[in-house]
Amino acid sequence: MGELTFMQGAALTFGVELELQLINTRDCDLTRGASDLLALVKRKPHPGEIKPEITESMLELSTSIHTRHGELLAELREIRDAVLAGADRLNIGVAGGGAHPFQHWSERKIFENPRFKHISDLYGYLAKQFTIFGQHVHIGCPSGDEALYLLHSMSRYVPHFIALSAASPYYQGIDTAFDSSRLNSVFAFPLSGRAPFVRRWEEFQAYFARMQGFGIVEDMKDFYWDIRPKPEYGTIEIRVCDTPVTVERAAALAAYAQALARYLLVERPHPLSEDVYHVYSYNRFQACRFGLGGEFADPHTQEKRSLREDILATLDALAVHARELDAGEGLADISDCVRTSGNDARWMREIYARSHSLPDLVWRQAERWRGEGK
Amino acid sequence: MSELFFLPNWPVQAEQIPWYAVLLLAALLAGEAAWRVRLPRVLGWVLAGMALGPSGFGIVDRAALGGLDGLLEIAMGLILFELGQRVDMRWLRRNPWLLATSLLESGLAFAAIFAVLLLVGAKPLLAATAAAIALATGPAVVLTLVKQLRAQGQVSERMLALTSLNNAYAFVLWSLLLAWLHAEYRGGWLAVAAHPLYLIFGSLALAAVLSALTLALLALLGRRTDAQFVCLIALVVLSVSAASMLKLSVVLSLLAYGTLTRAFDKDRRFVSLDFGRTGQILVMLLFGITAADLELSLLPAGAATAAALIAARYAGKTLGIFALARPSGLSLRKASLLSLGLMPMSGVALIMARETSTSYPELGPALVTVVLSAIAMLELLGPLLAHFAIVRAGEAAEEI
Repeated sequence: MGELTFMQGAALTFGVELELQLINTRDCDLTRGASDLLALVKRKPHPGEIKPEITESMLELSTSIHTRHGELLAELREIRDAVLAGADRLNIGVAGGGAHPFQHWSERKIFENPRFKHISDLYGYLAKQFTIFGQHVHIGCPSGDEALYLLHSMSRYVPHFIALSAASPYYQGIDTAFDSSRLNSVFAFPLSGRAPFVRRWEEFQAYFARMQGFGIVEDMKDFYWDIRPKPEYGTIEIRVCDTPVTVERAAALAAYAQALARYLLVERPHPLSEDVYHVYSYNRFQACRFGLGGEFADPHTQEKRSLREDILATLDALAVHARELDAGEGLADISDCVRTSGNDARWMREIYARSHSLPDLVWRQAERWRGEGK
Repeated sequence: MSELFFLPNWPVQAEQIPWYAVLLLAALLAGEAAWRVRLPRVLGWVLAGMALGPSGFGIVDRAALGGLDGLLEIAMGLILFELGQRVDMRWLRRNPWLLATSLLESGLAFAAIFAVLLLVGAKPLLAATAAAIALATGPAVVLTLVKQLRAQGQVSERMLALTSLNNAYAFVLWSLLLAWLHAEYRGGWLAVAAHPLYLIFGSLALAAVLSALTLALLALLGRRTDAQFVCLIALVVLSVSAASMLKLSVVLSLLAYGTLTRAFDKDRRFVSLDFGRTGQILVMLLFGITAADLELSLLPAGAATAAALIAARYAGKTLGIFALARPSGLSLRKASLLSLGLMPMSGVALIMARETSTSYPELGPALVTVVLSAIAMLELLGPLLAHFAIVRAGEAAEEI
């Protein structure tokens, strides 16, 4: 195994990965079609990357590296359209959202590839239950030490990302009462949670070597942490977001992460301390369960406020950085989400309250993914 | 009166035995046996029917099954409706190459079968009629296999779509040719023009009315699965009899009924359709009885030509599917499997063949023998090939 050297990333560059649901257009259940779709999408050039995920009902798309929100959004739209063009020819629906509202995990089929086979053998039914759909945001870091600084100081804001992106209120046919039920599925894995509190890249390397020595992990991919360093890209990867219902929200979340990273790196507002992790699980649960209405215990000031208030206060702090980064449009969407429209989980519950039909909800998710419908 | 009046007369009278229940039991056992050795259950059902029918042990004959025709029509109606429901008009709009594929595979299969029949000396018009009958894929086999394997993927989805389309084409072509036959052998041009038009447009109009009615009822009932199930069974039964009463085509009406119900369902009132266990019993009976009815005695005379017909049909369908595989978004591997998946031939063909030969004895025993032999051969071969296609494509569910 390698040394785990941290490749130098250009600071504050960013990119997005999105896991998507493949939907049967007849009954709106998940369908197995990733191999067919990938074979078709490969034929035409498109920006970014389109890849398989662990089951045949998932697809992952990723953007290239960007510096500006507008470019990222434009590329996301292009990749989305490339996937849709293929999916339309195969009659496969594509939808965002953090979990399929009523699929049965026993119906899932593991995508044929050695890594997924290994995961499936190791984790049994957990692997199929892992049919959940997340957004990952990568932020470029100039060094391993900076990456670890950013990772730990970003941990305070993990609940923001959870609440803003939450789009999995329904799971296995019921309303879970959570805004994001998806993260509960991630907790089941032994290597989930947070990275160890180390500040220097050498320390992290030593930790990793130890885990590797035990044979617990083979590479960084075996850690399912909320934020994890990605040394080969020179980034940290925020992995707590549900895949939003639209690419616009996905790009806005990435812009929020980018502006936050700039704020943390430039202003260094909080001294780095393990205190962040004392309230970590509590805040995280509040965000999953109650979304923007959840409580937030501030690890630095020891105050308690609503998550909504904390995000609004953060948005104020980010304004100047957003200007520098041309991220105003993205942050406006975040602000609108917090102030008026609410997260995707709220939209999903409103749709369901009207139709009382989960298939109908999935249909509308697919429409919105296309950029149609409301 | 004997002191032992309470004992039955011996031997008991065979008429009292509900033979269809015996057939159902035999089909069930044979189906499960087939399943154990990783063959499709459908194959067992067919074998049970053949074994019990006149060509086998002769336990079940037409008379013994008397009164079941209505039930079989309902079974066929349910299958056609469900198959029609699986046709997504939006898909055909978004991928016109799929529609082109269906026209091409049907057209080439028709041409190939027509050529074979001409070669064995059939008159062109009669050969064309037989070819129209033979181009259709068996809807019951395809739908049942896809459901039992819980298959998902391009081979399965396209098998269903192409099957419903080629059944519709076969029917339209057949009724046009019948009208021509009528003119040739009976005269009277009014019937020639009017009859096929009545059949085709009448059936479509009936389907449109029924689907509007269905959706209106579903709007009242809401989305509860059990309520929708009862409602749909009742409506399908009524539709089958309405089509018969109006002397319209059950095949076309029910297929179009399913398709239009889905196409018009803007608010997605339909929850996923499944005729469940009730449907299962009817479908098993349908397979068993159709198989029992096959005239296997024709096989020695017809097998050779029938084999040529089957080969030609396969060649035509394969060529059509391969030609447009790439533009329609299908890999060549899946195209080859899809071609196999369209091989089953059906009870619908059987009905059309019988109807033609009854009304037009001119069709001649030779042609009837060939078509019926082909149906008999594909009754066993078809499910095997289609099953192989779905499994090989990796589209069957993992645990079945």
